[in-house]
Amino acid sequence: MHEIRTLIVDDSSVMRKIVERSLRQAGLDPLVVYEAGNGAEGLDMLKSKDVDLILSDINMPSMDGLEFLRQIRAQKLAPGIPVVMITTESSEEHVKQAILAGARGYIRKPFTAEQVKERVLPLVNAA
Amino acid sequence: MAVSLRESVQLVSDPRNLDGSVEEVFQTMLGVDCRRDPGPIPQERESVTAVVGFGGLLSGACVFKSGSSTAIKIAAQMTGMEFSEVDDTVKDGIGELCNMLAGTWKGKVPDLAANCGLSVPAVITGRDYHLHVQAPEFKLDHTYRFDGASFGVTIICDGLQ
Repeated sequence: MHEIRTLIVDDSSVMRKIVERSLRQAGLDPLVVYEAGNGAEGLDMLKSKDVDLILSDINMPSMDGLEFLRQIRAQKLAPGIPVVMITTESSEEHVKQAILAGARGYIRKPFTAEQVKERVLPLVNAA
Repeated sequence: MAVSLRESVQLVSDPRNLDGSVEEVFQTMLGVDCRRDPGPIPQERESVTAVVGFGGLLSGACVFKSGSSTAIKIAAQMTGMEFSEVDDTVKDGIGELCNMLAGTWKGKVPDLAANCGLSVPAVITGRDYHLHVQAPEFKLDHTYRFDGASFGVTIICDGLQ
């Protein structure tokens, strides 16, 4: 099985580790993880790395997750690669904004590994 | 029609929303049962405070406060790592915990979830400091306990539209 190259974008290093652990618990293995602390770092990472999956927070300094999504599309980076938002913002309006900006999935913090499995695995398997 | 929370103060300030949010975040992210405790937070020399601001229909803040040993215990439970002091990773973990508490709490009231934003967390460590807020609209100040450790969570609302 080929490696699942995943970019995790979150300003919290603890949350990046928790997301990584949840992905492994969800059965995404072998997993290669790239980390970025905000949207701008995430864009830089996508210019130098090929990835199979992107998970991003929304509330971040420098460049938030929604702008990160818009810039991915505008700069034609990671075409066809699924992006899943993982965030404390859970209103329908936030979900709508994320989907309009190009997100394929949405996970609300706090989350369980089971929820990560349900939302992420089908996207990875379909890619 | 403009959304207003003025008529829903009782719903927004319902203490059960805060208790439910704390229980949910601790059960989901730490895998521990956490319950409201009538006692005060035991005093420690060093304490850790995380603040996440609310803006929009409600302005105010969600404040988490604990002694350093409880902060270390929470961060260890969240990450599976061991800590001997309140380092940057512990502060990061406590900030993120406060962010989830604030997000879960505001998510209990749909109009608040949709029309109230969160700031990025700020974390303060030190000794002998007090948080003072002048005449808030309402304030919830609860102590919680899990696995023999106590901490406080405060919701301060200083403006409601």
